Parts: sequence; C-alpha cells; structure tokens
Amino acid sequence: MPDPVVVLIEDEPQIRRFLRATLTGQGYRLFEAPTGADGLVEVGSRQPDVVIVDLGLPDVDGIDVIRRLREWTAVPIIVLSARGQERDKVTALDAGADDYLSKPFGAGELLARIRVALRHAAGASHEGDESAFKVGELHVDLLRRQVALRSTEVRLTPTEYKLLTILIRHAGKVLTHQQLLREVWGPAHTDQAHYVRIYMAHLRHKLEAEPARPRYLLTEPGVGYRLAVD
Amino acid sequence: MSKDPPELASPPLTARSILLQTGYLTAVAAVGVATGISWLMFPFFELANLIMTYLLAIVVIAARYGRGPSVLASVASVAAFDFFFVPPYLTFAVADTQYPLTFAVMLIVGLVISGLTARIRMQAEAGEHREERTAALYAMSRELAQTGAVEDLVTIAARHIGEVFEAEVTASLANIDGQLQIPRREGGLPIEQDEVTLSRWALEHRQPAGLGTDRLASARTVHLPLLGHRGSLGVVSVRPRRRDIFKMPGSLRQLETFINQTALAVERARLADEAQEARVRAETERLRNSLLTSVSHDLRTPLATITGAATTILESGSRLDQRTQQELLESVRDEADRLNRLVQDLLEMTRLESGALQLRRDWHPLEEVVGAALGRLAKSLGTRRVTVSIPPDLPLVAIDDVLIEQVFLNLLDNAIKYTPPDSAIRIIVSATDRSVTAEVADYGPGLPKGQEARVFEKFYRAASDGRRGAGLGLAICRGVVLAHGGRISAHNLPEGGVAFLFTLPLTDPPPAPLPADA
Repeated sequence: MPDPVVVLIEDEPQIRRFLRATLTGQGYRLFEAPTGADGLVEVGSRQPDVVIVDLGLPDVDGIDVIRRLREWTAVPIIVLSARGQERDKVTALDAGADDYLSKPFGAGELLARIRVALRHAAGASHEGDESAFKVGELHVDLLRRQVALRSTEVRLTPTEYKLLTILIRHAGKVLTHQQLLREVWGPAHTDQAHYVRIYMAHLRHKLEAEPARPRYLLTEPGVGYRLAVD
Repeated sequence: MSKDPPELASPPLTARSILLQTGYLTAVAAVGVATGISWLMFPFFELANLIMTYLLAIVVIAARYGRGPSVLASVASVAAFDFFFVPPYLTFAVADTQYPLTFAVMLIVGLVISGLTARIRMQAEAGEHREERTAALYAMSRELAQTGAVEDLVTIAARHIGEVFEAEVTASLANIDGQLQIPRREGGLPIEQDEVTLSRWALEHRQPAGLGTDRLASARTVHLPLLGHRGSLGVVSVRPRRRDIFKMPGSLRQLETFINQTALAVERARLADEAQEARVRAETERLRNSLLTSVSHDLRTPLATITGAATTILESGSRLDQRTQQELLESVRDEADRLNRLVQDLLEMTRLESGALQLRRDWHPLEEVVGAALGRLAKSLGTRRVTVSIPPDLPLVAIDDVLIEQVFLNLLDNAIKYTPPDSAIRIIVSATDRSVTAEVADYGPGLPKGQEARVFEKFYRAASDGRRGAGLGLAICRGVVLAHGGRISAHNLPEGGVAFLFTLPLTDPPPAPLPADA
C-alpha cells in the first residue's frame, strides 16, 4: 500500500511546519495550501486520502471549503479549530467534516484522528463487512444483535441498540447530536437533542462500570459523542 | 395622584357650608332656648340675670360654630331680650331710655365674646393642625431615613406631602446637566406646558413659584425647588385640591419644611451614590493593576521556561544526554499547557465580564457533564480515588453544558492543585423540587479561616501559595453559576478538606417527552 496522501489547508506557517515534521515523519505524503482556494485546487489534483482544514482561513470560511469539497468527494475531512468555538465545530461537522481537533493539540491526538479517518474511508468501500465490534470488555455481535460486557449478555431496548450500532459504525469519530437524532429518530426530531442525551445515559448505565466516568461512551460537551476505540 | 381634583375638591367645601348652615340654625335655636329659660326666670330674677342666660348661649355658639353664628346669636339675643322682657312687652319699642345702653353693652359683650372664643378656637385648630403636620413630617423623615435610592426618596416624599396637604404632588429630579426630568404620569392628566415652564423657573432661580407665591400666584400649582448645597436637586410640584389651603397661616412655611427634609434626604442619597461610585472606580482600578501585574508575571514565567529549554536544545543539543533533552522537552510541553490554560481563563473571564457571554442552554443530565470533566482531567487525576454520587432519577437541567463542564473542570483542578497527589475527591449531586446542588469536596488542608467567600474573587490566591494558576478559576465558576441564576459557596469540612457547592435552579418547564421505545 502506497503512503497515504494528506492535503493540509492552513494559513499559519508555524502550524504547517509542525504538521509537516509530524506527518512526513510518520510516512504520510503531505501537500500544503495556505488558502482555501489553493486548497480546493490541491485536493482536486492530488486525490488525497485525508484533508485537514483550518476553520480560520484568510480568504474563505473553512466551512465553505468543506461544503465545496463535499459537492464532489467523500474524502475524510478533519478540521482544526480553537477551543471555545464549539458552535463552529458542530457547523463544520454537520456540513460534512468527519472530525475535529482543538488547537492546541498534540501530535498523538492528530495521528489518532487521521488513523480513524483512514480506517473509515477504507471500510466504506466494503461496508457491512464488520460483523463484530470489540473495545475493552465490550463486545457487540452485529450479526446476532448481541451485546456483551465481560462476557455477560446485556439487554438493550431497540432504540438503545440502534444508537449503539450507529456509534459503532462511526467508532472513534465524533458524532453530533443532529447526526445521531437524524439516524435514530429521523429528520423530524433534530431539535430534540435531549433524546440522545437520555438514551446515552441509559446506555452508559448498562455498559459502563462507572457511568459518571465513562470509558467507552465519551461526551464532547457542546459538540457530540465519540465511541472509544482503544 | 391621578384622580380628578375638582371632584375631590367639592366634598370638603360642602361639608363646611353644611356645618355653617347648621351653625346659624343652632344659633337661632340657642337664642330661643335662652329666651325660654329667661321666660321661666322672669318672675323671680332681675333683668340683668336674664342677660347672663343669653351671654351663655352666645359663648356656647361661639365655641362650637365660630364667628358668624355667634354674631347672629348676639344680635338675635338683643332682639329677643328687647321683644320679650323689656316693657312694653312683645314689641321692639322701648319705654325707658336706659335700655338702649343696656342693649349696646349687651351687643358689644356678645360680639367680644364671639370674637375671642372664635379666635381661641381657631388657634386650637391651627395648633392641632401643626401637631398633625409635625407628626406627618416626622413620619416622612423616618421613612426617608430608611431609604437609599433617590427615585424612591422622591416617591415617598410626594406621597407624604400629598396626604398631608390634600394635594397632587409630582417630584421631578434634575439630572447631572441640571435638566429637569419630568416623570411621565401613569394614565393621569399631563402636566401643562406652562406648569413645566414654571417648575423650570423654580429650579433655575432656586425660589418657589406658582400658587401662593410672589411669582404667578394665580397658577393652580406651587413649585418648590429642592435646595441642596451644590444647587437645585429638583422641584416638587404641589397642586392642592382646595385652592385656599395656603391661605391658612403658616401653611406654605410648613410645606417648605417638608420640602427641605426631602432635599436633605435626596442630597444625602446622591452623596452616598457618588461615594459608592468612587469606591467602585477605585476597586476597578486596583483590579486592573493587579490584573496587569498578575498576567504579565503568569505569562512570562512559562514563556521564560519554554524559551530557555528550546534554546538550550538548539545550542547544545548534541552535547546533552538523552534524558536531559527529554526533560527539557517535557517542560516545554507542560509550560505550553499552562500558558494555554491561562489564556483560556483570561478569555473566559473577559467574556463573562464584558457581558458577551450568551448561554446556550439545553437539557442535560449532570452525570454526562461530570463525566466529560473527569475524562478531560484523566491525566492530572492520575490514580486519585474519585467517588461520584448522582441520584439515578436526577431530572435533566437546562444548562450550557460547555460552561458547566468548565465549572466542574475548575473545581476539580483546584482540588488537584491544593491536595496531596494521593488524596481522594468526591462529587455529590442532589436535587430538590426547585434546584440541583452539586458538591465537589476534597480531603486537603482546607481554606484559610475566614477566606471562604474571598476565594471566588478574581486573582485571589491562598496566602503563601507557591502553586500555579492565575487565581481566575473560581471567579469563572462564580460567573458561570451566577449567569445560570444559581449560587456558589465554599466551606471547610469538619473532618478536614473543603467543599465547593453550587446550586442551579430548576425553573424551566421540563423538555418534550421521549417517543416510545418500540
């Protein structure tokens, strides 16, 4: 398998320098673009495996870059944004971004996000192959619809199970309340975010040893949820 | 205040005229009674004694009904005396020439008695009136003394003056530029333009104007300036329901006494306000200075470490052993983290203080918010024991989850900083019908005595505290909790350690119910 290609759309030279060192050191081929317009061109010509977009670009809004990209490509997009701008992150995610990183972030976090994105992109081509999911002591058999914790079966309601399968399909990626509501309850309920929170609480009480210190079902306040993968 | 004055003006006048009419009738009746008694006495007594009966009647009438009826009684007494008891009887003719003198003296005595008695009565009435107003003045002063806000002071004064002088009263305060702020009156009659002009004149010339004064005495309203040491503070406009109220001796002076009391109170309140403002300004200045000192120190320390470590590696990287290089890089990372937290705190505090903070409330289980905070702090919590107790039936709370997570983060971070690395932390959430209370407690040394409230002040750091932080974390907690309409407090625990408690109200209607889980 050839080295994965990453396009980085970021205007800050110092951030680009740090990411260049990190990514090339890890065997990625990196192409950089300092503006949104350049970035769109780069993505078109390089056919990358992952795109990293900073939300605060000088020429266009990062959200618009995501929308333009989503018109023609399903490439995984990871956005970079500052903490405290949860609203922008949700907008970016709902516009089609796959994940986000809050500045400042460490190299470890970044590489983990890219790995998850690549895995999902690879999985998308042969969807439905995954017949089981396993993290820590949680086992889900997707064929038999069985959930087990420390080898003990856990009974879930249909809604709880549906919620869990959607989290598993996107394991390691953040999912916004909107995305979960649309997939579980349908587009009519997208303004009832507390449905998701109540069912997440139910799931935690059934699947977590300490529901107030979750190990699998993680909350990202103001943004959404993430199912841990390690 | 807003009632129509003419309607109110009529009843007292009618009562007065009825009283006067009754007085005249009673005067005639009293003379009749005196004549009857004299008639019975007539066979046995000298005429001079009969005159005494009449004088008694005149005194009674004068004392009870005043001058008019008693004058009538005097004249009627002379006439009746002449008619019934002076020969020739049952005519007004007089046989003896000495009688006209008797009549004259009798009339004069009657009139003098009327005058004296009536005056004594008026003085008594005036005295009573003064007494009442002194009591009213005292009541007003006492209420004014208990009030702090200038607007409330003038409202109270207007009410008292209105009651005492049976008048409609409007108190208008002058603003800083000396412009009169005429209050809008609720549903009442508007103040006429010439009355406004008159009240402005009173303010500018520091003299009363309008009804009963030297200036435009024909007006319906009297305008009295509230005089302070540094100029006019405002104007009180008094429109009595009876125009003649200020004809009573001393009435206007008494009104001025009320006005002076009000002026004193308003000036006192203004001075107190100014003193308070000056204190706030001084405090703001002090905070700004302390912010600059604290921020520049707190920003420079990590920057110094980062610069030092980076330049060391750059300049002598090859000569350093692996372990030293690793240590230097770790300190760069840790100091950058610290710098990041500090900048975050400063931004958060600025957002809270500038009022730019907008709560994005939604329904959240607190357990999830606590879980997110504990997850974020997993590294710094290390192996510490954290016990969390949240009732399973805790209702959803309408909060901004990002901000409330920040509260938990700061409280936990505080506990981590001020307690030994292996000591436990506990989080307890409880609810009543109206509120949810969260407690974050540690088993550390506790707060210095008497500092339980001060810890929420900006830049407060426990004395002799070599630990890190800008002293903003708890101030941010307080800001966020207050923005949610809640309360926050800290207290030392009897078994050691400190508990931080915050309470959030459960006032909103509950969220839409869940669809059936089919």
